[in-house]
Amino acid sequence: MTRIGRQLSIGKTDNTSDQRTPRKRLRLIPTDVRESFVPVIPAKAVQRQNEWDLTRIAQNRPRAEGSPIEVKGTVRNENGTLLRGALIEIWNANHYGRYRHVEDHSGLKLDENFFGIGRVITDEYGNYRFWTISPGAYLARPDIGRWRPKHIHLSISCGSSRLITQMYFPNEPNNASDPMAVLMGDSFDRNLGKPYETIIPEVDRGYDFDIVVGGKNAIFFE
Amino acid sequence: MTNKQQPILLLPTNEDTTGPYFPTYFSDESYEDLTQIHSGVIAGPTGQHIILRGSVLDRNGKLANGVLLEFWQANAKGIYRNPSSENHPDLDPWFDGYGRLRSTTGEYTYRTILPGASKDRAPNITVTIFSDGINRIVTQIFFANQKANEIDPLLKTLSDQDRKRLTAKYEGPSPDGADVYKLDIIMAGDNETPFFDDFLS
Repeated sequence: MTRIGRQLSIGKTDNTSDQRTPRKRLRLIPTDVRESFVPVIPAKAVQRQNEWDLTRIAQNRPRAEGSPIEVKGTVRNENGTLLRGALIEIWNANHYGRYRHVEDHSGLKLDENFFGIGRVITDEYGNYRFWTISPGAYLARPDIGRWRPKHIHLSISCGSSRLITQMYFPNEPNNASDPMAVLMGDSFDRNLGKPYETIIPEVDRGYDFDIVVGGKNAIFFE
Repeated sequence: MTNKQQPILLLPTNEDTTGPYFPTYFSDESYEDLTQIHSGVIAGPTGQHIILRGSVLDRNGKLANGVLLEFWQANAKGIYRNPSSENHPDLDPWFDGYGRLRSTTGEYTYRTILPGASKDRAPNITVTIFSDGINRIVTQIFFANQKANEIDPLLKTLSDQDRKRLTAKYEGPSPDGADVYKLDIIMAGDNETPFFDDFLS
C-alpha cells in the first residue's frame, strides 16, 4: 500500500483556517529520520496554589459568576498507556464569553472573580480533575451570525505525547455550525464532555472527559 | 520501520485549533532561550549560541499573529534527550532541547545552540506550529552553509526549491556573539513551507 500524508481540511466560515491551512498535502516523514520528529517535553510542574479551581481567583475569594462545573477524566495514548504526571494547561472564557487576554477585543464583560487560566498534573493513575465556570458561547462571526459554542481549551504535554484540543458540551445549538467540529464529523463525540450528576455541593454538574493523545509520537518510544 | 505495529486500542481525542487566546500566562522564558537554564543562573549548555528568527506568514503574506511555536533539537554533540538516549555519555546536563514561545505578532526570535549533526543528519530543529484556524503542523529547519545539508536524508526527498524553504539564511553574528539565522515560515499559498505528517507517518 502506498501511503501518503494527510491533505488538511479548511474550516468552513473560518477565515483564519482559510489563511493558515497548508494547501499542499503533508509529506510523509522518511522512516530513517522519524525519531528526530519526536519532541520529548521535559517534566516541569509549574502551578500556583489552587490552580485546579478556576472558579475562584484564590482561596477564600468570592466565586466567579455563572455555573461552577467539575471536569475530570484520564489521559492515555492510543495504546492505552496511562500518562502520569502529564501537564494539562486549561483556559476558557468566562460566563459572558470573554477571555482575560489582552488580544480579546470583544468588549464582552470581564468578571473580576474569574481568571479562566489554570494548570493541573495527572496523578499516578493518569487522572485529572479541575473546577471551572461553564463558559459562555460568543459571537465569532458577527457578519454571518456564527457563534462559537461553549468550549474549554486543553493543552496536554507529557514526554512525547502532545495534544491541543477543546472540550465541548453536549446538545449545544452552536455545535453543529462550528467549523472545527464540522471537520471532526462523527468523531466530534469524542470531544464532548459527558455530563454526570454530582453530590459535591460546590459544583452544579460534572463532566467526564477522557483524553486519548493520538498520533505516532505519543507511542513512538513504546 | 518494523512490520510489527503496536495494536491501536483507543480512538484519539481530536486535535483542535489553539484559538487566538493561548494564555501568555503560560509563557516561560527558560523555554524561549535554551542557552541558559534559567534567567540569572550561570549555567548553560555547550555549543555555539544562535538566534533563529523570522516571521510566520499566512497565505496572504500577512503575519500570523498569536502562533505558538514549539522547538525540538539535539544538543551540540547531536544527541537528543529522549527515552532511547537515557544513559548516553554525550548528553548535556544543561540541555533538554525543547523550547516554546508564543508570538503576539507572528514574528519570532528564539535563542538556542546550534544543534550537532545527529548520525547522518544535517543539524536541524523540528518546529511545531499551533495556531488559531489549524491543528498543529510540523516542519524541520536547517542551517545555511552546513556541508551535511547535501546528504541529509530528509532534504534529499525534497525539490531544490523546497530545500531552500527549509534552510535558514545566515545573517552574521549578533553583538553578543550569537550566530543569527533567519527563516520565514509560510503556512499556506504559492511559496508554502513544506510540512510533514508526524501524526500519520
